[in-house]
Amino acid sequence: MSQTITIDPVTRLEGHGKITIQLNGQGEVEDAHFHVTQVRGFERFSEGRPFYEMPSLMARICGICPVSHLIASAKACEAIMSVRIPHTAAQLRRMMNLAQMVQSHALSFFYLASPDLLLGMESDPKVRNILGVAAAKPELGRGGVALRRFGQSIIELLGEKRVHPGWVVPGGVTEPLSTEKRDKILAMIPEAYANIALALGAYKKIADTFKAEIAVFANFPSNYMSLINEDESIEFTDGALRLIDAKGSTVEDGITATRYTEVIGEAVEPYSYTKFAYYKPLGYPEGSYRVGPLARLNIVKKMGTPKAEKELAEFKQLAPGLVESSFHYHHARLVEMLYGVERIEEILADSRILDKHVRATAGVNRLEGAGQAEAPRGVLHHHYKVDENGKMTWANLVIATGQNNKAMNLGVLQAAKHYIKNGKFTEGILNRVEAVVRTFDPCLSCSTHAFGQMPLAITLVSAEGEELDKVVRG
Amino acid sequence: MNPDLAEPLHFEKANCLVLACGNTLRSDDGIGPRLAEWAAERFRGDGHVRVVARQQWTPDLATDVAAADSVLFVDSSVDSVPGRVSLVAVPSNRGNSDARSHHLEAHELLGLTRSLYGSMSAHALLLTVGAGSTELGETFSDQVEAALPRARGVLEKTVLRFLAN
Repeated sequence: MSQTITIDPVTRLEGHGKITIQLNGQGEVEDAHFHVTQVRGFERFSEGRPFYEMPSLMARICGICPVSHLIASAKACEAIMSVRIPHTAAQLRRMMNLAQMVQSHALSFFYLASPDLLLGMESDPKVRNILGVAAAKPELGRGGVALRRFGQSIIELLGEKRVHPGWVVPGGVTEPLSTEKRDKILAMIPEAYANIALALGAYKKIADTFKAEIAVFANFPSNYMSLINEDESIEFTDGALRLIDAKGSTVEDGITATRYTEVIGEAVEPYSYTKFAYYKPLGYPEGSYRVGPLARLNIVKKMGTPKAEKELAEFKQLAPGLVESSFHYHHARLVEMLYGVERIEEILADSRILDKHVRATAGVNRLEGAGQAEAPRGVLHHHYKVDENGKMTWANLVIATGQNNKAMNLGVLQAAKHYIKNGKFTEGILNRVEAVVRTFDPCLSCSTHAFGQMPLAITLVSAEGEELDKVVRG
Repeated sequence: MNPDLAEPLHFEKANCLVLACGNTLRSDDGIGPRLAEWAAERFRGDGHVRVVARQQWTPDLATDVAAADSVLFVDSSVDSVPGRVSLVAVPSNRGNSDARSHHLEAHELLGLTRSLYGSMSAHALLLTVGAGSTELGETFSDQVEAALPRARGVLEKTVLRFLAN
């Protein structure tokens, strides 16, 4: 008799999703899926809006990574305007995107993942959360809080708001940076370095105790895609995309926003509202690929900043060839946070950052435009079409979570097959299956305020629909 | 403050912190931010009072709580009779929690603050207004609209009492 285990909702994620695991008559895992159960519809309701409203509208998709949406959207608008934005505006945007990456990675690592890492996958679920981490390791908790505030404070200093700043606009940014604000940001940097060093040190000490998880947490060969600079260094805001194969060879390079839709397709699966992105020449699912911190560090040859450079060299030693286990997304996040702080410091050291020319203006010069930027969890693509009056007629967004969708599903299946035997499972085992998804830090929805508590129900159902067992958390 | 615990570097000190929570696009759930708006106006220019309103209470607010002598949390309540105004003490929760994401309840935020910074606000109270509707909308239900003057009164009296202490 076959059975289905359902984990709904998956906890410590940005948004709502569920996992189902199908067992065969012998109680062995036959299949598993990660389902995204929300519908948003942003592409549809943007139709008819003036194109220059798009950055502020699209930023509402997410409360954690709105800056990446702002930037990808503004770049799509600038393609429609046919303008090149001033150098200082590009650098200011870059800084805001990096600040967002730091705060988002801090949230993912310290608030959502560290309970598993520091307290253990089998620890009491009642304390396996940020409060438990704060009680057991207060210095790391303080570091996490401080790093999140570091990123949020920079976003607020630049854009007047921590979340959904209206500062990034088509053509550049609305306000230049003042000397006073620059100095405030510079004053925060030493503490940020200290906190990242603390986190990296703590993580490296415990990583070896997770060898079993590293082996089965979405640990398989795959393609990877990320932005990269011409000098092979990491890039979050400009550059072009590179796709590499499972051996690290470049499959396609220089994928600009305009060319993106030529090479990237989106497949649909019946169990999820999120699409599955793939590289068209390879088809689906062979053309599926991973994005985000793991992909970025696998693709780049260098970071371009001294401290992060050393960490990248160490990261690349984690495995012969490419680093394939998604467990290492956690480590990659810490390396990227270090890079983010270093790069922000470099940007601020250039006196041109105070230049007052930060916005280019133009009307509609093309009826179609596309833009891309790296969000903390992977590359983000916005593609718009407008009429002669600049009203939106069509939009398509490809988000990081859709690009990691296939890998997340395969990862859930891999871990479930490893841990669930003879139809038997414990809360700790199911937490590991959830933790596979957490490594990717998928952003399913963060812009809406969740009212009330999120229960977690795990049910074991027979093929006939009979409920055989049920565990409820909360 | 436990001298072994580092003091947060970036925070604004306040004798009294009014910390509101809610979504203004969800009808009565917006009562927290609305009361915060009123409190900011009522105590404008008073350097002893700081007002912060957020859609969610997140762990990073622990630094703000740590810097305040007294904290008045303000929120709506779906467990209460619509329009009922309640003021209760907030227990500190340092261990067990239902926290499954990055947003916290008042007692969890207080417990987190204590664990991280060793500081404990002398007074921590939670002011709630029972929510009648949390559907999409920017207006309050009749019950919550009618409760607004009383909620403002309780808020004002509580802040003044905190300051007197």
